[in-house]
Amino acid sequence: MSELGPIFRALLRNKVGAFLLALQIALTMTIMVNAIHMIENRSSMMARPSGLDEANQFYLSSNGYAENFNERAVVEEDLRNIRALPGIVDVTQINAIPLSGGGWSMGLQTETGEDKPSVGVAVYFVDDHGIDAFGVNLIAGENFSPTEITYRQRNEQGWPQNIIVTEAMAKELFPDLTPAQVIGKTTYIGGDEPMTITGVIDQLQAPWVGWSGVERVMLVPQRTEFRSSRYFIRTEPGQRDRMMKEVEEMLVAEDRGRLIRNVRTMEETRDDSYRSYSALQTILWIIVIILTIITALGIVGMVTFSVNRRRKQIGTRRALGASRFDIMKHFMLENFLVTSVGLLLGVGSSIALNIWLVDAFSLPRIGWYYIPVAMVILWLVGQAAVFGPARKASQISPALATRTA
Amino acid sequence: MLRMQNIRKIFKTEMVETHALRDFNLEVEEGDFVAVTGPSGSGKTTFLNVAGLLETFDGGDYLLDGQSVKGMNDTQLARLRNEKIGFIFQSFNLLPDLNLFDNVDVPLRYRGFKAAERKRRIEEALEVVGLASRMKHLPAQLSGGQQQRVAIARALAGRPRFLLADEPTGNLDSQMATSVLDLMQEINNQGTTIIMVTHDPMLAKRASRNIFVRDGQVSEVGKEDDIVELLHKTAQVG
Repeated sequence: MSELGPIFRALLRNKVGAFLLALQIALTMTIMVNAIHMIENRSSMMARPSGLDEANQFYLSSNGYAENFNERAVVEEDLRNIRALPGIVDVTQINAIPLSGGGWSMGLQTETGEDKPSVGVAVYFVDDHGIDAFGVNLIAGENFSPTEITYRQRNEQGWPQNIIVTEAMAKELFPDLTPAQVIGKTTYIGGDEPMTITGVIDQLQAPWVGWSGVERVMLVPQRTEFRSSRYFIRTEPGQRDRMMKEVEEMLVAEDRGRLIRNVRTMEETRDDSYRSYSALQTILWIIVIILTIITALGIVGMVTFSVNRRRKQIGTRRALGASRFDIMKHFMLENFLVTSVGLLLGVGSSIALNIWLVDAFSLPRIGWYYIPVAMVILWLVGQAAVFGPARKASQISPALATRTA
Repeated sequence: MLRMQNIRKIFKTEMVETHALRDFNLEVEEGDFVAVTGPSGSGKTTFLNVAGLLETFDGGDYLLDGQSVKGMNDTQLARLRNEKIGFIFQSFNLLPDLNLFDNVDVPLRYRGFKAAERKRRIEEALEVVGLASRMKHLPAQLSGGQQQRVAIARALAGRPRFLLADEPTGNLDSQMATSVLDLMQEINNQGTTIIMVTHDPMLAKRASRNIFVRDGQVSEVGKEDDIVELLHKTAQVG
């Protein structure tokens, strides 16, 4: 490594080309670090458990069209019939599907008054079978009883007395209390309407996967009478596809003046919800890979040009005693220095871009390890890129030193 | 010190086979100052390249300091070149982006000397050629004669057994050429063996031995009148 001094001093006398390449490396590192950070951020969001038994769940819509359509009777009979099917674990009517992108939200607060702060929460109207149909665990309190399930009309403003919330929601409302201590606590909806927490479930996600409060959910013991229902169904493991067909055929065969539509699995819903995330990840990967290739090609180009320009100098070095390995080492070290300068610039610009992204888009900060990992990757890319031209340089004959051209 | 026995060097292309050296025999003793002359294309540069281990040969044997170089690999040849031979080139061949200190430092780094030893040798070599005060200058800031002096310092710093000079005054005016030649003479007087390829009759006259190369073969020039005649031939053809 003792050659670093003269190589560095020589580079300082040919600043422009080396500096432009260093800038390209800095730019590549900046984009690489932040893009991979965004990819990882999206991956961790996609990997969050929803709390559901997604592999064994599906849902469908039942839309009444007949004038004499009696939704309450139809829903109760449907739920009874579906539960009776072998292979079904449970079913509940629900107003919105987790992860689907569409649903209800309200604000809950621990003190009355419209000026008091409230915590946003996703609202699922379910019956006493909701917890089983979701496949979530009740960690404190108790489930709704069949007798407390009421029917909610389309324009109804009031709310039932009891609710079940997720642990994340309980923590948000009462940060200092355990789930068991939250049971019996009163919260207020719409500013002053009290609701009592009677149960806490471990985890359930809201319909909006990009929402920062996606874990904040409350279950309300109501069925809806909106002429349009959704049934959320959980099957025995491995029975989902069979039951989807069977349930749909059964409901269609009943001919109750409604249409059965949108029979979809939770896995399809998850894929749809995260499709934009996957697309973004793919695009970012492509950008990172293309940029890295362009940088590598830039290095190859610059070193090849440098080798061709310095053929006689290389021949002279060989004549003065440089082995082929010495010549290779010279170019590898030269590239190492240029890359290092670029990476040092890249550290600053990567952090600067991340700070801007944190401010502008509320992205989390990059982990410290991104910087050294990116540096090592780009050092390796640089060394791999320079290897070919450096090897070519090492093949230059020392006899070139005596040629006058 | 340097012994070439029946050296053959053939350059081959698809169409042509050129015998650059054929049964080339030469012995150089320690302390000799040998001038090698000959017409263009006679094989002078090929001889220099083979002698300097810059090119391999196809037949015969070459002993350097009693050691045969035949069959040595590239790394061995590079090491031997670095340790035993100093080069002086017609175009000086200084590395333009390095200052004088770093230029002279190049072969010493390849030798693996420690920094303090290198510094001592560089300063000493630049002192010998009268350029110690300009060691931070770049080659482009020097005249041609000064650049050739730096090249000589670079060749001397490794304390080689012999210097190979390829038209060392070819790119210099007569005043600078004389100055460089005086320096080489002084180096030779101190015991360093010099082999110099040249077209310059005046330069060849300063050597203690004259070798004439024609058609890849060598002949020794012994008498004063022969030298003049051969130099005349050289001047005509080359």
